[in-house]
Amino acid sequence: MSALRLISNRTSQQALSNSDYTWDYEYYEYGPVSFEGLKAHKYSIVIGFWVGLAVFVIFMFFVLTLLTKTGAPHQDNAELSEKRFHMNTFVAEFGRPLESERVFSHQMAEESQSLFHFCINEMDHMNKEKESQKGPSLESNTHFQEVPKSCGMFEEDLHCLTKFNIPNFVNTEQNSSLGEDDLLIPEPPIIL
Amino acid sequence: ENISNFSLNITDCTQVVVPEEVFFTVAAAGILENLLILIAVVRNKNLHLPMYFFICSLAISDMLGSLYKTLENIFIILCKMGYLTRHGDFEKKLDDAMDSMFILSLLGSIFSLLAIAADRYITIFYALRYHNIMTLRRALVILAIIWAFCAGSSIAIALFSYEAATVIPFTILFPLMMFFILCLYVHMFLLARSHAKKIASLPSSTVHHRTNMKGAITLTIFLGVFLCCWAPFVLHILLARFCPHNPYCACYMSIFHVNGTLIMCNAIINPIIFAFRSPELWSTFKKMFYCPR
Repeated sequence: MSALRLISNRTSQQALSNSDYTWDYEYYEYGPVSFEGLKAHKYSIVIGFWVGLAVFVIFMFFVLTLLTKTGAPHQDNAELSEKRFHMNTFVAEFGRPLESERVFSHQMAEESQSLFHFCINEMDHMNKEKESQKGPSLESNTHFQEVPKSCGMFEEDLHCLTKFNIPNFVNTEQNSSLGEDDLLIPEPPIIL
Repeated sequence: ENISNFSLNITDCTQVVVPEEVFFTVAAAGILENLLILIAVVRNKNLHLPMYFFICSLAISDMLGSLYKTLENIFIILCKMGYLTRHGDFEKKLDDAMDSMFILSLLGSIFSLLAIAADRYITIFYALRYHNIMTLRRALVILAIIWAFCAGSSIAIALFSYEAATVIPFTILFPLMMFFILCLYVHMFLLARSHAKKIASLPSSTVHHRTNMKGAITLTIFLGVFLCCWAPFVLHILLARFCPHNPYCACYMSIFHVNGTLIMCNAIINPIIFAFRSPELWSTFKKMFYCPR
């Protein structure tokens, strides 16, 4: 930015020209910078910075993958929040009026657990059939999209859970990177 | 004194110039993409949700960043062609205004990412109370506060960029925010992972490992992209402030235009990793393009 050039002009002892301000591509005519006697390579800051950045990102990635292999320290409050999370992740987003969501939210607190257990049991049976048909990356989706008709009585309640708008981050974690289309399979899923 | 303005040694670090075509293409792509998102969210009533408003805020700040670079290039070209004088007062004011636009874009990006991360955090950990906590009105109020703060800071920084005091908070804010966003996402990630373990324990499945790898990859991409696109520029500001005459620093600063192009690339990548993963948004795009009225 050319504003920075003003800084240099004021601090520099050897002024380049009378006018303090020019607007130019060459922002940094800071005066003679001597390149004599450099011990290290002249682009060492550039190289060092990018290498450091790459190392940091890779380190962060390894820390995250390590976390996948070690035990889960996060068990408190996990039951209820996890179950809600679980329901939410595999349901696509629908816009609904916000008022009706609040009505259901209180009911959901009690019902979600039993609902969840019920559907999990049903899903178990379905899953063993469907497992071979779909690709592995879709497996965790099919758990919930093919909830059988017996879960249909909870359809209304499940509809409400769709209004908890699911962040994309949560969706894509469980899915393949192609992600969201998996949730909208052609056959009319019960939940949707 | 004989002051040589140019050190013509062979070891000089000359400015690395990015061709103007590349510049304008990247900037135009960024602006168009983000404009598309804004239009889609405005037109589709289903997308009037806090989450999408935060994504819009990110889109606006990305657009501002690309717009700044485009305008700056245009003005410099006009200068070279002689339509604008180089030493004028009007140009100085214009330049200050554009600098503040750029800082506004950077601050807006950081705070929008923070808002998106916080919104997702609340969605996961306070799922049933989410709609009481994050109402539309509150989201708009939060956005108004964020943008008012960013606008004020950017004007203040642009006006007082001569002081050292402005550069330091600016460069401290950046890693602080990054760290905070990282903590939020890691916490969410831990929950998702323990949750995936529960899924895996129900039927016999060996897939959970792969899905958690994907989670790690997604998170790394989110933060890695932002870091790689903005950190070079932040370092540039630091070096320009504190060691402009050092040859190493000067060599780093010679790649200034590459850093600027990286920031515009961030404007292109952000929509892909935030907005385009939403199925609702995609269906809105399809309706916009394939079913004209």
